[in-house]
Amino acid sequence: MRNKFTVLLSLLLTLLVVGSCGKKSGADEPKKIAVIISTLNNPWFVVLAETAAEKARALGYEAKIFDSQNNTALETDHFENAIASGFSAVLFNPTDADGSIVNVLKAKEAGLPVFCMDREVNSPEAATSQILSDSYSGCVTIGKYFVQQMNKKGKYVELLGLVGDNNTWARSKGFHSVVDNYPDLKMVAQQSADFDRNKAMEVLESVLQANPDITAVFCGNDAMAMGAYQALVAAGLANKVKVFGFDGAQDVVGSIKEGKIVATGMQYPKVMAQTAATFADEYFKGKRDFPKKMPVAVEMVNQQNVSDYLELAKN
Amino acid sequence: MLKKGIKYTVALILLLIVGYNSVYIKKLSEVKAAAATGKFDATLYAQTFWQEKLTPGLAKANNLPELLTLLKSDKENAFKNYSHALGIGNLRYFLIKGIGKITASNENDISVTLLPDSVGQEVKLATEFVYGNAVRDALGILSINDFSNTMDMNNVSAEINKKIRTEIIPPFRAQAKKSDVVAFTGAIELNQVHLRLDEIEVIPVSLNLIQK
Repeated sequence: MRNKFTVLLSLLLTLLVVGSCGKKSGADEPKKIAVIISTLNNPWFVVLAETAAEKARALGYEAKIFDSQNNTALETDHFENAIASGFSAVLFNPTDADGSIVNVLKAKEAGLPVFCMDREVNSPEAATSQILSDSYSGCVTIGKYFVQQMNKKGKYVELLGLVGDNNTWARSKGFHSVVDNYPDLKMVAQQSADFDRNKAMEVLESVLQANPDITAVFCGNDAMAMGAYQALVAAGLANKVKVFGFDGAQDVVGSIKEGKIVATGMQYPKVMAQTAATFADEYFKGKRDFPKKMPVAVEMVNQQNVSDYLELAKN
Repeated sequence: MLKKGIKYTVALILLLIVGYNSVYIKKLSEVKAAAATGKFDATLYAQTFWQEKLTPGLAKANNLPELLTLLKSDKENAFKNYSHALGIGNLRYFLIKGIGKITASNENDISVTLLPDSVGQEVKLATEFVYGNAVRDALGILSINDFSNTMDMNNVSAEINKKIRTEIIPPFRAQAKKSDVVAFTGAIELNQVHLRLDEIEVIPVSLNLIQK
């Protein structure tokens, strides 16, 4: 009698376990989307992460944000965790264009689509789609304005971002595709300041010692533009040297209004994040023909149109 | 002892087979030629696009005065039905045509007043700063999936713009003067959120003086 009871109890428990497992993977449970971000130590990426997660939730999915802290090893852990925990897609801001490929491929092997946001991985086949600022075209527009503001002549300095970052070169190439057609515009120095404000200040201070007669600085992002401007103020050259940035950061847009910075390129992290989440939703519904790369337009902000962008930059 | 000899002989043969099949020797010129075959040729692509797509496609260009009227009265309709762009965002491109009377020949552009006179709008025909994606995108027939990477797309724009700067503009600039009437086709870039119709710049595709 007691044996019969034990067998029945075991059967019941087994049925319960099987039943609960079935429910977990059932159609009623919302799919889970992992938002894996290079770093949340930068407000720009926080906006990217939170917008992606918000949009995913608005589309009816669960969303969880993972911070890679600019560490590819930690990023690998997040991918493994996402795969093991039953996530169905990854909205991804890579830590390293080359180093992150292996993580994307791991997800792909596990059947998870990966949608890159803002930063790309150097593999055309790894990610399902990569939604990126059109940095090249944005800097073509800035390059054109640069030539106009310089009256086609003068000495200038270019401050590059991280030399290993694809955005650094897309911006530089776009700028030079215009500016290099004007032989009287002479670049006296091209140095990396790693997208960092303090480093940009130090680099420009050093460059100014040998080249006090420059009339413009083109910077690969807005943090460097602010650092360059600080160096020019310290050297008493702020009114003589034109500074150009890229990003659309609030302090630079404010500085354009005040006449301290000449122009920047406004990027749209929210558009990139929302598009990535929408693509994931479309993927779940059966779509497969996504563009490998989807450029998002960058708009130039200058003195003439800055009032259009003051509110946007705050957000 | 004999068995050992057979073992070594078999191992040597296997080693030779594996070694032989692991190494391939090709002429460097053949490898370079094969790589070049797969490389995207932006110049050729731009030339073919110009001749086979853009030139016949100009027949579909929007009449600029009519487009401006629509943009003022129903912006959403104008952007939805007549603008194109390979990417996403606020910047959109229109393929346009028009006739204008030259009011000024400037260093970097030529100002024209659109005809008929009742339109009363001045636009600029770019003659110096012909850059960007307006002409590539305005026709609306290219797809982002036509390109395997974004640099190819950028290079197509660069080649189209170079053709305009070197072949279309110089003969026109050499002849055009104030009060001449010009028939033009081209592309314009407009921001659908921050729309400004008072500073329209046309990237020209064709420029013909019809009255001097």
